[in-house]
Amino acid sequence: MDFNFTEDQDALRDAVRKWVDRSYGFERRQGIVKAGGFDRAAYGELAELGLAGLYVSEQHGGMAMGPVEAMVVLEELGRGIVLEPLGQTLVASGVLGGYAPEALKAQWLPRIAAGEALVVLAHQERKARYRLDACEATATQAGGGWKVSGDKSIVPAGDQADAFLVPAKANGKVGLYLVERSAQGVSTRGYPTIDGSRAAEVSLRDAAATLVSADGMAALEHGIDIGIACTCAEGVGTIDRTMQLTAEYLNTRKQFGVTLATFQALRHRMADMKMQQELARSMSYYASLKLNAPAEERRRAMARAKYQLGVSMRFVGQHSVQLHGGIGVTDEYVGSHYFKKLTQLELVYGDTLHHLGEVSERMQDTAGVFA
Amino acid sequence: MDLAFTPEEQKFREEVRAWVRENLPQDIAHKVHNALHLSRDDMQRWARILGKKGWLGYGWPKEFGGPGWTAVQKHLFEEEAALAGAPRIVPFGPVMVAPVIMAFGSPEQQKRFLPGIASGEVWWSQGYSEPGSGSDLASLKTRAERKGDKFIVNGQKTWTTLAQYGDWIFCLVRTSTEGKPQTGISFLLIDMKSPGVTVRPIIMLDGGHEVNEVFFDNVEVPAENLIGEENKGWTYAKHLLSHERTNIADVNRAKRELERLKRIAKGEGVWTDTRFRDEVAKLEVDIVALEMLVLRVLSAEKSGKNPLDIAGLLKIKGSEIQQRYSELMMLAAGPYAIPFIREAMEAGYQGDYVGAAYIAPLAATYFNMRKTTIYGGSNEVQRNIVAQTVLG
Repeated sequence: MDFNFTEDQDALRDAVRKWVDRSYGFERRQGIVKAGGFDRAAYGELAELGLAGLYVSEQHGGMAMGPVEAMVVLEELGRGIVLEPLGQTLVASGVLGGYAPEALKAQWLPRIAAGEALVVLAHQERKARYRLDACEATATQAGGGWKVSGDKSIVPAGDQADAFLVPAKANGKVGLYLVERSAQGVSTRGYPTIDGSRAAEVSLRDAAATLVSADGMAALEHGIDIGIACTCAEGVGTIDRTMQLTAEYLNTRKQFGVTLATFQALRHRMADMKMQQELARSMSYYASLKLNAPAEERRRAMARAKYQLGVSMRFVGQHSVQLHGGIGVTDEYVGSHYFKKLTQLELVYGDTLHHLGEVSERMQDTAGVFA
Repeated sequence: MDLAFTPEEQKFREEVRAWVRENLPQDIAHKVHNALHLSRDDMQRWARILGKKGWLGYGWPKEFGGPGWTAVQKHLFEEEAALAGAPRIVPFGPVMVAPVIMAFGSPEQQKRFLPGIASGEVWWSQGYSEPGSGSDLASLKTRAERKGDKFIVNGQKTWTTLAQYGDWIFCLVRTSTEGKPQTGISFLLIDMKSPGVTVRPIIMLDGGHEVNEVFFDNVEVPAENLIGEENKGWTYAKHLLSHERTNIADVNRAKRELERLKRIAKGEGVWTDTRFRDEVAKLEVDIVALEMLVLRVLSAEKSGKNPLDIAGLLKIKGSEIQQRYSELMMLAAGPYAIPFIREAMEAGYQGDYVGAAYIAPLAATYFNMRKTTIYGGSNEVQRNIVAQTVLG
């Protein structure tokens, strides 16, 4: 039982933080937002740091790191509200590395690690909400390969990505397929999202596909869980910076001749936010440390973690805006963009009510970190 | 980073578990598992069993006869004891006053007082709060006047937990009115059998007699019972507070009580009611998150790195959780929580229960738990402390 980071992990954190501080200032970020919400060059810079290959084996040109390293990186990206979806890369490389046949790994993982290929999960369907088994897309065998048809929604950077990981049903069973965006029958319609990043509707009509795993549910659930752990870590980083901004503001802004930080009503609110910050951090650690647990235990842990993060992100986000007063609801102020990021993070991979339901369904007689 | 305990820690846990299973009297465990009233004899029986093993002062270093456990070992001991249904160790002697005597007492005081605390023979009470001094403890007024080799003590303490059983009481008393309130306070050990000490019960809203008023009327206390220096008592008391770390969260008891809540919910048919069950699920996440918070503190203590200044958060969350599980237990019983039959909250009750035996104490426990956000520095005071760490 040890919650200290290794020197290597601290060095990794420093490297990412430096990049965010030096190269991803608010001005550049807002420029990217205006230009559509995804910048290939910025993504390339993350890949240059080796981050796109964080989960890729050394054999395929990656760093073969684990969930704690991923957590460290995502915390820092959250702190800088970075738009480029590195978490998606970790999901895709984790799923491909864990479930894909060797040839497919050899074809995609080196390019993912190098930042040459962006592969994202395209699982959301209109009627499914957060249910993973509600999949209407279909896959049919065609010649030596597969063809996939269906409509997938809110695919991160969907009109920029090079390929999608797509769950689709064949003979009533969900499989996971890889579809290239350039394939015939693929069309995308991109749009901005709450936090200023980008997503797309992806339409697949008999699009050529490669089977990643016939046990699509296991692969998909695992991918979602990697995404949840990433989201928790990103949420913690976003909360940390939000707290910092809010504390600075309360210690600077004066009303009635004194700083806001002198008012007990506001101090107590800040104490409640600090509580949520530390509960969130605790559960983000928990998520990352349970990510390699057996599926049942892993799923239960992710539901608990995402529920906590959902509560904490919303609480800190809303109250940060409130403590700022008028400036907190302006587009000009950086804090409002942290609030939007926190809001979007709550809505991905299952919102708070969804995961409350998951926790509720999965409760056992005993409970605790080790149960 | 690693969630797992080391193999040595696991082995330690198993040894403790086996010993507790072997030595915890079943009638006491039954009472704890069912929130039935614990008598003085129950509490002292368990204290003596622990004392004999050398585990009553489980936080003590070896030089004072303790087991010299690490922070993690202490946590594992607390967890195994709690899950097995052991009563909480009455903390005033072994957890509260003993560390002060060790740190600031004279060798004579250590020789005189520590053995009785370690064995569980001597029952200690804590004399801090006064009618006019709650959260603002430093305003306390109980006077101790030096007369030769004695102090003459006059005044009143209140909310004194289980003082009706107390042999000795450690008190914060005012020895000077000069300077800041904090600087005129001394730490005095008082024999409760001294003439002039009167204990009067305060009956709480749950009907229980848990706390008392303690009056001091010209009580003569030998000067040798003063801990450390006169007027330095506040410093010693703060040292004491720093000894209440992770155990104030009481997360292990919360885990045990969550299990009981689930049993009650099943018994009352609300386990299948999604609306109720979701409330239990929220509590479950709260408890896991609190446990993670506690483990983070333990890790920091163990490694000596990245110390976490979050005792206030542990107190707030821990107490809120205690209130919440007791509240949900009562709500699970619904209308059957309404009957309030004191005798039915005792073990060995021979009368008829209304509904079921396990329901009888639920409302009383709910009322009893209201104290948790008030004592030990109210949660509002804790929020002041937490805010200080964020805002300066």
